[in-house]
Amino acid sequence: MTTDSDRLLVQQIRQCDARAWEHLIARYEGRLFAFVHRRIKDLAACEDIVQETFIGFYTSLPNYDDRRELQTYLFTIASHKITDYLRRTGRHPLQNASEGPNDLLHLKLDDQPAASSVARSHERQVLESDAVARALGQLLDAWREQGDHERIKVMELLLVKGWANKDVAKFVGISEQQVANIRFAAVKKISEHVKGAGLSPDVFPELHSQ
Amino acid sequence: MIAREVLAAYLDDTLSDVETAQVEQALRQHETLRRQLRGLLQERDRGEHSVGAVWRRNRLSCPSREQLGNYLLGVLEPGPHDYVEFHLRTIGCAFCQANLSDLEAQQQENTPQVQERRKRVFHSSAGLLRKK
Repeated sequence: MTTDSDRLLVQQIRQCDARAWEHLIARYEGRLFAFVHRRIKDLAACEDIVQETFIGFYTSLPNYDDRRELQTYLFTIASHKITDYLRRTGRHPLQNASEGPNDLLHLKLDDQPAASSVARSHERQVLESDAVARALGQLLDAWREQGDHERIKVMELLLVKGWANKDVAKFVGISEQQVANIRFAAVKKISEHVKGAGLSPDVFPELHSQ
Repeated sequence: MIAREVLAAYLDDTLSDVETAQVEQALRQHETLRRQLRGLLQERDRGEHSVGAVWRRNRLSCPSREQLGNYLLGVLEPGPHDYVEFHLRTIGCAFCQANLSDLEAQQQENTPQVQERRKRVFHSSAGLLRKK
C-alpha cells in the first residue's frame, strides 16, 4: 500500500508541480540507483537507467493506480529498464546461450504475446494475482502480529526460494512434518480465498501440487 | 541445482547480484537448466502464475524502510532483527538490499556527487511536466 505522503506527491505531480517531482526524485533516486547498480556496474549507464525509470513513471502516470505502492511500482519499471539495457548492449546472458530464432532469448524477449496469452486475458491474470496477494498479505499480517517470524520464514523459503521441505526444516530447526503442516494450512487458506473470489487456483502450480 | 522459483526471479530481474551471477553461470553451462527456463516461459505464456512470483512482485514480506533504518542502527527487537537479517541475506531480496545500500550511503555521506546526480535526473526530466 502506498503512503499518504507518496499519494500526495503523485497528486501534485499530476498537476505538473515541479517541486513535487524534485521531491520524488530526492526520495527514490538513491534506492533505484542502488538497485540498478546491483546489475550494471557502469555508473553512467546506471544514471541513464534511473533517469529512464523516472521518465517511464511519468509517462505511465495516467495508468498508475494510487493504491499500488509507489516504491514497488518504480522498482518494477527499473527492472524492465535493466532488461532493456542488457538486451540493447547484447549483454543479456540468454543472448550468449542462444543459437537460433527459437532460442530462449527470443522466447523471453519477444515483444509480441503468443496466441495463447492473448486468449488468456491479462485482466483475469491480474484478478488472480490480486486474490493471491490479498490472501498471502492477510496470512503474513496475522503472523507478524503474533510475532511468528518462523512461519513467515518457512513459507518464504518454500514459495519464494523454492526450497524443499527437508531443507527448510533443517534451516529453521523444526521437523519436516511441521514444515508440511505449515505449508498445508497456508495453501489451503490461499486456495479458499482464490475460490471465494470466484477464481480457479489451478493456474498456480503451488496450489494444486498438494 | 537452481530452484524453479529462483529461475522465475531471475526472469523478473529481482535476484541479488550474487544469485544472478550464479544463475547466469549455470545457464551457460547446463542445457537442462535452459530447458527448464524454456518450460517456465511457456507456462507464463499459458497464463500460469506462481504464488512465489506474486509474493516477490508485491514485496509482501519486505520490511518497511523505517524497519531497515532501525536494523541499520541496531535498535530492532531480536525477533524482527533476525527476520530482517534473514530476508536480506537468505532470501537475498534485491529491493531491500538496494534500500539498505541507499540508507547506508545516507548515513555515511550525502555527497555533492549524489546531489549533482539527482539534479541531473531532475533537469533532464522536469521539462516533461511543462509539456502537458
